[in-house]
Amino acid sequence: MACFSRSRLVGMLLLFLLFGALKPATAIPAFARKYGLPCSACHEAWPKLNVFGQTFKDNGFQLMNDRDSPIWQNPAYWPITLRVTPNWHRELVNKVLVDTGAGPNTGVINLVAHGFDLSGLDILTAGTLYNNISFLLVPSADNTGAFHFESAWARFDNILKSPWLNIKGGKFEFDNVISEKRILNLSGNGGLYQLYHFVPPNDSNAFGQMGDNQIGLEWMGHSVNDRTRISAALVSSNDGEVNLPARNAYSGFITGSQAFDTGKFGTQRVGAYAFFGSAPTFSLTSDGVPIPGGGIGNKSFNREGAFALIYLKKVDFSLFFQHGSDDKYFGTSTPANAALPPGARSPSWNGGFIETHYTVNPQLVFVQRDEFVRMSQQALPGTPSSFGNIDAYTFSFRYYPFMFSRAGFAFHPEYSLVRQQGTSPIGTSLTSSSVFMGFDFDF
Amino acid sequence: MKSGYKFAVTLSMLSLLALVMLHSGQTVSAAAEGKITGTVKLEGTPPHQRPIDMSKDPVCVKAHEGNPAHTETVVVGSGGGLANVVIYLSEGLPPAVASQVPSQPVTYDQKGCMYTPHVAAVDVDQHMKITNSDPTTHNIHPLPQPGSGNIGWNKSQPPGAPPIDAVWKTQEVSINVKCNIHPWMHGYMAVVKGPYAVSDDSGSFTVENVPPGSYTVTAWQETYGTQTQKVTVAAGKPGTASFTFKAK
Amino acid sequence: MRKQSWKWSLFLGAAVFFALSAASWSQVTEEQEKQEMGMQSHIGKLMGHASAGEPLYRRFCVGCHGPIGDGEGENAQWIDPKPRNFTLGVYKCRSTPTGTLPLDDDLFNTITRGIVHSNMPRWQPLPDQNRADLIAYVKHFSPRFVKEKPGAPIQIPPEPEVTPERIKAGQAVFKRVECWKCHGVEGRANGPSAETLTDDQNRPIKPFNFHDTTRFKCGSTDQDLYKIFMTGLDGTPMPSFADNLKPEEAWDLVFYLRTLQPMETKAKEIAKKLGLKPVNPNEPATQTESK
Repeated sequence: MACFSRSRLVGMLLLFLLFGALKPATAIPAFARKYGLPCSACHEAWPKLNVFGQTFKDNGFQLMNDRDSPIWQNPAYWPITLRVTPNWHRELVNKVLVDTGAGPNTGVINLVAHGFDLSGLDILTAGTLYNNISFLLVPSADNTGAFHFESAWARFDNILKSPWLNIKGGKFEFDNVISEKRILNLSGNGGLYQLYHFVPPNDSNAFGQMGDNQIGLEWMGHSVNDRTRISAALVSSNDGEVNLPARNAYSGFITGSQAFDTGKFGTQRVGAYAFFGSAPTFSLTSDGVPIPGGGIGNKSFNREGAFALIYLKKVDFSLFFQHGSDDKYFGTSTPANAALPPGARSPSWNGGFIETHYTVNPQLVFVQRDEFVRMSQQALPGTPSSFGNIDAYTFSFRYYPFMFSRAGFAFHPEYSLVRQQGTSPIGTSLTSSSVFMGFDFDF
Repeated sequence: MKSGYKFAVTLSMLSLLALVMLHSGQTVSAAAEGKITGTVKLEGTPPHQRPIDMSKDPVCVKAHEGNPAHTETVVVGSGGGLANVVIYLSEGLPPAVASQVPSQPVTYDQKGCMYTPHVAAVDVDQHMKITNSDPTTHNIHPLPQPGSGNIGWNKSQPPGAPPIDAVWKTQEVSINVKCNIHPWMHGYMAVVKGPYAVSDDSGSFTVENVPPGSYTVTAWQETYGTQTQKVTVAAGKPGTASFTFKAK
Repeated sequence: MRKQSWKWSLFLGAAVFFALSAASWSQVTEEQEKQEMGMQSHIGKLMGHASAGEPLYRRFCVGCHGPIGDGEGENAQWIDPKPRNFTLGVYKCRSTPTGTLPLDDDLFNTITRGIVHSNMPRWQPLPDQNRADLIAYVKHFSPRFVKEKPGAPIQIPPEPEVTPERIKAGQAVFKRVECWKCHGVEGRANGPSAETLTDDQNRPIKPFNFHDTTRFKCGSTDQDLYKIFMTGLDGTPMPSFADNLKPEEAWDLVFYLRTLQPMETKAKEIAKKLGLKPVNPNEPATQTESK
């Protein structure tokens, strides 16, 4: 029994696109105000971090100059940053089911919508509560003004004076060096990494998303110059939702990377990660409504792969590879207390992306990304082998008219396109594309 | 024939004389022992010189027992003579004379937690011998203007330490000297080219070793700035220059 | 045609004149620019170039040190101590005598280590080549680096063993050269002259507080401490004691200064065992103390 029909999927996609992309989170002028550094010191082109900014973050938002504790700040300093992006955008979904005179869902149209719109709002407050105790709190609104906590964590940094011992607890982003929260894209189709959220069509695993912030504990360690980084996180398989929908299911995320300085080319980094765990396949309900803490029928899932950041002076490449698979109960959307369809298998896939940046200077960056997901095993035997495959392309640039130490502003045009095989209401490929022009404010 | 011979002799004698004169022009010979004398006066009431509170260092207080030292921004002697005015030749010096460096060093002492002399004049490349006559540590911290070509430094000089040797590379009127340990200590080193003098308590000065010629003489005082005068020095006839600064 | 030709020749003449004068003007400044932008730095096997350092400086440094390196960046008004004015060519943390230029290594070490208790970050995460290029660009702001060579670095003899005799001798040095006048008898930066100290720009400045502080702005090792008082911190009230201390006495002083600091060191342990009391400036110098 399919929980997610194709049309529903498309509908969700549309809603998703029209209400704006996932709001990428962190570029924090409050840090610039605190330390007197321009944004360009920590960010290649904000919000993407450079090697100095990544070290600052890994040190617990500290410069380690004995002036990190908030007592050194003017009492009027308040570590708050606001980010919002009013924009004009155009969304296109090539096959959408609509009601016609002939009856419900009898028409298929190419839906194009465009106009001026708002993104969600991020309120970021981050920094140190004390020497070696850092925090990040992000109350975030979608563009209708509905708030949730995107991040809320505290971290004990440099425990026993060692950079190898940092413990973070709360709701946080996985330690992805290629961070989706600091992605340089903002459009509905471009502002996310498909592989950070990918589950095959009709797969009921809502939890296996390494791009969503999760609630749990993380140990992280790094060498003093931040060239070696490793971390291990234990989270509840709630996909960051509150009130324990996954009841007693947990997941783990481990990653490590090593960077090498290569003279005038820059610093190259390679690493690997694994995300694995179990999550419920259905929920106990009361009056038809899922009850908190009611997730049962845990089945497993995993994503693993490698990544690299390759720098060639002003051009750099972010490379990402993933192999993923979900349990067959997830793949076939079968609750664990029901029978599997005949021939059910664990769906698995391989995918990757290459994201190229040309950072002309701290005030102008060009971004291009190509992403592919290829199913290697379908959950049901009759399914065409290319069903669910994704091709995604994004082209954008960001121009920052000023770069200083108080606030940020970027003019951001973007074009992105995502095509998934077989998921349109009529079984053909579903293509959606975005044209986006935004004014990205950050104070 | 005879007239030709006469001509030759005259010519060679004239050339010889010319050579001698040319040569004598290149060295400071006895003919160049001219001088410029004069006085510097202050017209009007000088600003009140305040007594200095040296209580931060009891050794300094002891040195002035019963008679506290005063600030020295304007020091006027009896008869209105202005002391500590640097006199030097700012224009008209032949390069050979200007680059002459006296071999005697200029002394600069710290006594009673005050610089003695308060204003010292010195030639470019002339050595200074800085001494500490006090039983307390001083640090000598000359502060040339940035970009002047002179580079500042900062050296400690405890009691009994050997003299410090200092040399300045370019003309600068004047280099501020301070002691960080005793913040009231202010002195000046005026770095000039060629002959110089500093006016004494009665405001009078004598600039020695001035070759005959026409010069622009500059007088510099730390509060009132500079004044110039044209002076001519002839052999056996010293030039005179008198300056009058107006109290504001 | 002939009648207009004089107008053309006038125009041409003017054009030639302007072209020549423009060329000569730009040649002068271009020559200077080339000389200064050709500034290099040498740190071990690393070679840095000012031209490569320029975009890095704009990215990392301009906010405090300003576009012309004079320490008047947009953030300078809010921070204390103020950012360094590179145009003066005066630097605190050197291995070279007072009044001389620092070595490239000194500048490289300073930006790598950062300056503790100030807004100057620890730039160590940047690749070595970046830091070398930045140093070359920092040097290009001051004509001193074009005209002068850095001073000859001071010789630091190998560090001897800490002994009670050395610590007592170090205390005698502390008393003789009167460090306590600014730093205070317990190193609490409360000496009689401490309150009135000003730097070369006449801004108030505090002496180092040994009692409460573990790291110095110019480093944290014993060798760093040795260099600080044997070269002086140019631009500040801290003078050079190179003329007044023999190398052995300098090491004695290093050990004594460690006893004033909060960290547990061998020197502090020995001082505790000796029951060492702070110097008494009012006590006359004994036979062993006066030199």
